Amino acid sequence: MSVAAAPTGGRFGTAARGAGRIAAASAGAVAMFGAFVVAKGANPLVVYADMIRSTFDVASLGEVLIKATPLILAALAVTVPARAGLVNVGGEGQIVVGAVAAGGAALALDEVLPGGVTIMVMMLAGALGGALWAGLAGMLRQKVKVNEAISTLLLNYVAIDLLLFLIYAPWKDPNGSGQPATKPLAVAARLPLFAGSRVHMGILIALVATGAIWFLLTKTSWGFKLRVVGGNSEAARRAGLPVPTLLMSAMLVGGALAGLAGMAHFAGAELKLRPGMTANLGYIAFLASWLARHSPIKVALAASLLAAIAIAGDSLQLDSGLPAASVNVLMGLVLVAVMGFGNFRTTRKAA
Amino acid sequence: MNLILQVLAGAVRGGTSILYAALGETVSQRAGVINLGTEGCMLVGALAGYAVSANTGNPWAGVVAAATAGGVLALVHGVLVIGRRASQLASGLVVLFLGLGITSLFGGAFVGRTTESFNPVPVPVLSSVPWLGEIFFRHDALTYLSFLAGPAIFYLLFRTRWGLLIRAAGERSEVLSAYGHSPARIQYAAVLAGGMLAGVGGAQLSTAYANAWFENMTQGRGFIAVALVIFAAWHPLKAVGGAYLFGAALALSPALQARGLGLNQFALDAIPYVVTIAVLVVLSRKRLDAAPEGLTRILAMSPWK
Repeated sequence: MSVAAAPTGGRFGTAARGAGRIAAASAGAVAMFGAFVVAKGANPLVVYADMIRSTFDVASLGEVLIKATPLILAALAVTVPARAGLVNVGGEGQIVVGAVAAGGAALALDEVLPGGVTIMVMMLAGALGGALWAGLAGMLRQKVKVNEAISTLLLNYVAIDLLLFLIYAPWKDPNGSGQPATKPLAVAARLPLFAGSRVHMGILIALVATGAIWFLLTKTSWGFKLRVVGGNSEAARRAGLPVPTLLMSAMLVGGALAGLAGMAHFAGAELKLRPGMTANLGYIAFLASWLARHSPIKVALAASLLAAIAIAGDSLQLDSGLPAASVNVLMGLVLVAVMGFGNFRTTRKAA
Repeated sequence: MNLILQVLAGAVRGGTSILYAALGETVSQRAGVINLGTEGCMLVGALAGYAVSANTGNPWAGVVAAATAGGVLALVHGVLVIGRRASQLASGLVVLFLGLGITSLFGGAFVGRTTESFNPVPVPVLSSVPWLGEIFFRHDALTYLSFLAGPAIFYLLFRTRWGLLIRAAGERSEVLSAYGHSPARIQYAAVLAGGMLAGVGGAQLSTAYANAWFENMTQGRGFIAVALVIFAAWHPLKAVGGAYLFGAALALSPALQARGLGLNQFALDAIPYVVTIAVLVVLSRKRLDAAPEGLTRILAMSPWK
């Protein structure tokens, strides 16, 4: 760790060096992924050229925005509890429950109520569903001291089984063929699209949420108190802060954001509940928040970057015939590079 | 076969992969490193084991490959959290992603392919003991080996000098440094051992339990193993019990379905996770007190009181 003693050149110098290191580390990750591609018998230069070309055409940029929508919301769902020192690895489950709640509301209402009203009800249902799922883990932590990182992880699997249970039996579309799914959402109840694209209004929800969370965390006393609790809960308690209430509120807000992610993904992109609809979004979002050190604006940027990598993965499949999930190797390597070798923390003396 | 017997025998068969992973994670966590990437280590172990036994015709070669693959992946976690002080929980998930990606990149060729695998070998005499024979002695070689693994890890941790060093690394690493040991080196060894055992667990899953490879076949077993270690209070023999409990929950679903029980498969599939949470709830109150000192910092970053 020879970097430990590097002299600092002021704030700007540090930031520039940090950015340089991140770039160098990412280049290393890209090179290593190239080695994996070679091992698979494909030409890495061609693979990368295809990835870049297909990620930066207009249609793909739209796909990146579609993917970024739930990722940003679910990453904020990690950020808010993390400010209070809580580890929410349950984004995946909270997204699923949010989508299930929104889907349930849609099944009941989308042919009865006007589309706009249904959308509002679905948003509410999704947020409540996600909050419930996160609140469950929060309650377990509060009442019986079950670590929330473990309980949220396990609840992910329960949520997925809940989704499968519903779409294989009671909510199954009788007219559907092939893979079981619910019936498609009524057109009026779908999130509106930007003209001439597949991009839906969910991205606006995500951006508004980013601004709102930034404001709440940095400009309100609630946000300040959360940080105090996250910094030192014992000191917070002695100072008379209602620590359990604050922690629970962080967990509930986080869950609601992830639930909203599920709703937006369902009502804007998927349009029906189907197996595998969440595609590890919750885990990717978790990493986005940790990459950006739980700072809301940066979290949204990191989530968008990971969305772009995920979309680039589709080109792996289409152009190079590699399985789509192999993009997880690239994502993992970039994260290893940035977390391990690109962050500011390593410039401090390691303990 | 009656239901209870079937579930108990299934508990041993289905719990073994988790048993290996949980024992490995016990060693790692005792040294102060929690590895959520255990899930990824199991995955690469499952594929490496399957692929090598398919190509060599020797399932034991597969086990060696699985341990190697799991160990190498765990070392990535080791470098990040020990060498670079990254967040343990986040780094574990990164390792999981690497595992998911690598196995889907290289695993496609082995989906649907048959391989030389570990077949059940009834132990002479013992297998005909009523009940016990059925439950314990009509399994594959890797399962028999796992019967020794729990006591072996117990012995390692509590009766050997190495075990003392590992536990000291998790409890009071500054004392180790004071005595001239390198806590980092010991932690690396513990993380490596944890990944290797998780890899073997993965091999048991693919070459003995399922006799197949498919993408993401571990289905959260690695996470369960991490949870098990906590509710077993970092004790290897209790972790063995926990693994069988989870195995039983896992065996319950097909056993009930085979009897035409009118329950939905996915409601039954959720049982193991719900059971794990329920056990955590019952046992958890006092558990954190038993945690290695170095881990409480990670597990109880903000204790609710």
